[in-house]
Amino acid sequence: MTPDAGAPTARERILTAAVRRIASEGIDGVRIARLAMDAGVSSALVHYHFETRDQLLAEALEYPYKHAGEIRLPEEPPGGASHAERLNAMIESCLPGSEVQRDDWVLWLELWLRAAREPGLRPFAEDLYGRLHHWFATEIEAGIADGEFERCDADDLADRALALIDGFGVRALIGDPTMPVERARRSVAGALARDLNVGERLTALGSVEAGDEPKRLSRTN
Amino acid sequence: MSPRPRVHHLRKPQIVQAAAEVLYERGLFDTRIADIAERAGTSSPTILYYFESKDRLLEEVVDNSDREFYDRIWAEQARHERASAKLVALVEETSLGPGRLSDYTLWMEIWVRARRDPTVRQNYFRLDRRQRELIAEIVREGQGTGEFSRDTDAEDFALSLSGLMDGLGVQMTLGQPDLTPERMISRCLALASGELGCELLPSSQNGKKSQTREVGR
Repeated sequence: MTPDAGAPTARERILTAAVRRIASEGIDGVRIARLAMDAGVSSALVHYHFETRDQLLAEALEYPYKHAGEIRLPEEPPGGASHAERLNAMIESCLPGSEVQRDDWVLWLELWLRAAREPGLRPFAEDLYGRLHHWFATEIEAGIADGEFERCDADDLADRALALIDGFGVRALIGDPTMPVERARRSVAGALARDLNVGERLTALGSVEAGDEPKRLSRTN
Repeated sequence: MSPRPRVHHLRKPQIVQAAAEVLYERGLFDTRIADIAERAGTSSPTILYYFESKDRLLEEVVDNSDREFYDRIWAEQARHERASAKLVALVEETSLGPGRLSDYTLWMEIWVRARRDPTVRQNYFRLDRRQRELIAEIVREGQGTGEFSRDTDAEDFALSLSGLMDGLGVQMTLGQPDLTPERMISRCLALASGELGCELLPSSQNGKKSQTREVGR
């Protein structure tokens, strides 16, 4: 097979189709015959590339992250942004605000569920958390170094931020009327503001401008 | 006398117990009704007589584990007089997870399904509200006795604490390195101490009685 440079291989098309199905209908909605149709291949070819359905699912859950090479973090906020503004943008980029973010969140949830039972997926989940943790801790440390944030344990606060993002994000995703995404953002920011001693400066920031769509763990197409 | 009512109260808890075990082990998607029937020593039609689908079984399992959780919580709460001790007890019990397994797997099943199934969603909201109301109630009690700062809104705090517990619970279930139930407890108490203007310590560091030391804000 000599595919054109850049043209997705059948294997990639199958994985992309699986990712879409999982995002829209959950893992339960993934049927080999339907995926084959989505990907424009035969069921036999799906079975050729993936021995079992489980193997296909496991790879599909990892695919958006692996495929991107590494987690593509959102665009840097505009130059001159304060650390509080950057932190705010980071929090927002991790919550299920846009359609793309919601799809990523659904995959993330399914990944949690499978990783809970399949220890083989755990190093992967650990790696994702590790990178996100590093991203937040680095920003907090930079804010402390520049004197914008109060001295505090950046690692502890990064962990708190990630846990709250997950705890609130899942409620926002499900559509809890008491937890729309904007409130989730404010609540995460509020829970960091005291320790960083930034008062209202973090929570009062609006959401980042529309159009500049941040992505959680970006999916490349 | 029809035998059904007598059998009913014997068999249903058995099925729920078997379903809980199989669900923990395999997950809802990979669980077949036949697996549960085998574990419960009954037949698939019997299970489907009591529960129309796997989703309803999952809900029953979660309801059941939630009832057990609250039974333990109420018993524990009654042993403490101070609101701070009640809050510590609640955090500690929750950090052990449903069934004390340090395991949020069942909640993850619920979250995944709640997005698509309105019944699961409403059920989840109900369980979530109940936990938050309990937290808020403890906070208001502590504010009344002067243990906790009055500047903090009890409902907002309840939301933060339950969000934090869920997020940490997920990481613990996924086996994140260094995240033990003890660590989860100390992280939750650190947030609560900051928000409530007091110092909450794990009960293990306080003998059996947990206390707060008032610190100025």
